[in-house]
Amino acid sequence: MRVSLQLNGETFSGDADGDESLLAMLRRHGHTAVKEGCGVGVCGACGVIVGGSYVSSCLYLAGLADGAEVWTAEGLSRTDPETADALAVAEALQCGACSPGQLVACWAYVHLGPGVPDEETIRHFFAGNLCRCTGYSTIVEAVKARCVAEGSRARGSSA
Amino acid sequence: MATMATIRADARAKLAGEQRYTSDLRRPGMCEAALVRSGLPSARLVSVDAARALGVPGVLAVLTGAEVGVRLWGRMARDIPALAVDRVRYVGEPVAVVIAETRAAADRAVELVEVDYEPLEPVLDALAALDPTSPAVHEQPWLYPSAAAPEGSHNVQSRIVAGDLAATEAALAASAHVVDQTYTSPRGHHGYIEPQACVAEVDDDGRIHVWMTNKQPYRLRAQLSECLGIDQQRIVVEPVAIGGDFGGKGAALLAPICVLASEWTRRPVRIALHYDEDLSATNPRHGSRIRVRLGSDGEGRFSALAVDAVFDGGAYAGCKVMPDVNLPGMSEAGTAYGLSVFALESVVAYTNSVPGGHMRAPGAPQLTFALESAVDELAALAGIDPVELRRRNVLRQGEPNLHGTTWTECRGGEVLEAAVAASRRLEVPPGWLHGRGVALYDRPNVPMRTTLRLSRAGTGDPLSVEVPFPDTGTGSYEAVRAEVAEQLGLDRAEVVVRLASTAELPPDAGVGGSWVTASALGAAAAAARAWKDGGGETIVASGGAEGPEVTSFVVQLAQVALDPATGAYRVLEVLTAVDSARVVNPRAHQMQIDGGAAMGYGFASLEDLDLEGGQVGAGTLGEFRIPTAEDVPAWRTVLVEGSLGVEPGGVKAIGELSNVPTAAAVANALADAGGVRLRSLPLTAEKVWRGLIASGDEGAAMRARR
Repeated sequence: MRVSLQLNGETFSGDADGDESLLAMLRRHGHTAVKEGCGVGVCGACGVIVGGSYVSSCLYLAGLADGAEVWTAEGLSRTDPETADALAVAEALQCGACSPGQLVACWAYVHLGPGVPDEETIRHFFAGNLCRCTGYSTIVEAVKARCVAEGSRARGSSA
Repeated sequence: MATMATIRADARAKLAGEQRYTSDLRRPGMCEAALVRSGLPSARLVSVDAARALGVPGVLAVLTGAEVGVRLWGRMARDIPALAVDRVRYVGEPVAVVIAETRAAADRAVELVEVDYEPLEPVLDALAALDPTSPAVHEQPWLYPSAAAPEGSHNVQSRIVAGDLAATEAALAASAHVVDQTYTSPRGHHGYIEPQACVAEVDDDGRIHVWMTNKQPYRLRAQLSECLGIDQQRIVVEPVAIGGDFGGKGAALLAPICVLASEWTRRPVRIALHYDEDLSATNPRHGSRIRVRLGSDGEGRFSALAVDAVFDGGAYAGCKVMPDVNLPGMSEAGTAYGLSVFALESVVAYTNSVPGGHMRAPGAPQLTFALESAVDELAALAGIDPVELRRRNVLRQGEPNLHGTTWTECRGGEVLEAAVAASRRLEVPPGWLHGRGVALYDRPNVPMRTTLRLSRAGTGDPLSVEVPFPDTGTGSYEAVRAEVAEQLGLDRAEVVVRLASTAELPPDAGVGGSWVTASALGAAAAAARAWKDGGGETIVASGGAEGPEVTSFVVQLAQVALDPATGAYRVLEVLTAVDSARVVNPRAHQMQIDGGAAMGYGFASLEDLDLEGGQVGAGTLGEFRIPTAEDVPAWRTVLVEGSLGVEPGGVKAIGELSNVPTAAAVANALADAGGVRLRSLPLTAEKVWRGLIASGDEGAAMRARR
């Protein structure tokens, strides 16, 4: 089948098998910012935004994304450099295999909710983003910092 | 010396997904391959019928062992066939490789390859395998190149002994208190997020280019050369990023098959594992069964130690790298204490299961779980507080350890006191029990040498530093960048560090043994000196870490809250106190400690890669549970500063310390909380609950609830 979508703000059109995941299709077409980790929706390395929802692209059929707006770490790091900055400044990464997924999760946490700089809430949300390197402290710290910055901006703009 | 607090050079590229890992590579004309794997733990391989598989559109070829012949590979002992020939020895062993235009076609065709087996009786347990009446996994394993199997032995990959058994037996017999217990731990996966992958390509000159999830490019080249009978100069291991290692990415694994497939098709070939394959058929941490006999006098001073370890090595020995084909951590048995009478035996058995490999301080987490649990059990026997018992026995400055080594500096006592002084008792929920456990470990720093090349294309270009070791994420490249910049008076932005191919630099040990940062700092200093002296366009210089001979102590205190009604518990905090010298990058150093403790916690409480009928039971990362952000305890760290480091640079290794004592600290905390002594990992709530019932503490537990 033919799948057409808005990928990171640009038009994308590619072939896909009926049972192919969005992850496999995007990677096959060279969009390797989406990483394959566990392949079963546990690790979060393949996280993307489809039609305003945060999903694991390994569990999402490519065909279902037809016509949707899709954002990956590649696009989000461009449109929301503050999220990438927060993670980079906190050094919330080592090997980098989970990092694009952490970035998408951080963006989703801030923009789709819950968005609060609360440690327990962040840890619960990020339980779906495995990292074997860091022990998670720097990731949590980065998300907190990003939430605080976003919160001050929101307060500033509403004032 | 530079101390760093800036953003890593590769951080933004990694976050944006621009960093290319092996499975992200696409070479022109590349095809994809997938493996047909044995479904039986032990069988004669009668025939492989690929006719139906070859009918799948897009399938180019199916190769079997019969076509490629016996091609043995190994990091030390060369006993692993690239593809099985005549015989399969574990569930997951590669039997054939399907090469296709797409991965989907290859995956589909794998299901259609018909393999005819004649099942044989497997041996699935290490202890059972050492019984001479059990089936032999290999007929004459001592004949394999570089094998350590003793001639005439039965299912032995390696057996090492050290110390004096007779003296130890005598000293134990004369001891006031003796603990004699056996501790077990399951096989464990490294849990890196990037599954293993390889890309191979033969160029027009017949040179073979390999990109792989492998942290030791020159050793990979050597493994391929030996396995395939190809001159090393014809093989180039190309640079590529690695998405997590933890010891799991040193073996050749997929590479020989990938090269054979590429030679066969005359096209570039990629093999990228799905995670279920990675869990069941790469090179996990060895399962262990370790008997510890520890004696003391009436005051708790240790008199003798006997350690008797049996490891499950799986079907092949080739994923281990030491010349004795044993686990290097075993040499650390008892070194943290003032002990002179000891006996050590460590046997690695062949079984019909996935071949065991190295994982972060190989052997040490298993050993330390056993040993430090036994120390607490001795404390209970002697009626001495566990911290006090360690205080009385920890190796002192100037005292030789049981191998006769006297460290230039020995700070075990200081690190222990620092941990205890920093510990604060945490609250537990109403009705829950509180427990605190301690464990310690010491690990020598291993100085190595490495080589760097400095070059500058032209005035105004950045200074390029080529290194022979990949960056597995530890921050070693950033350390090199900072050091070179500092030595040459440059801004760090003017220095670029990149991995060289194996065609560019002399052979190098690569990543391992926590030696990279210290060695690289030595090489960076040497290269910067040569650059200043020579003033040429290119400088290749070697250097490394040298004395003083130092060891690093780490002490962990774990606190748990235990629900006596269910056996459920939470590890509230793991406090890590560690010997530290100059810290190059405080954040990277801290993440090594936190990430290590997280791995230690996973080993203690969650991770189990055990077999069901010869097959790894965990099919996904949902079943093989590594810690999440929500699971992990609070981390606290005490850096016991001012330690001597290796020169130049005055640094100490940090990568393989905090993951080691955690399991014993948690087990000791559970024993402290509920009186339940668990001797088998992982420490599940179910085991705790059964222990509470068996110890008759249920009544006490229920009373505590009120």
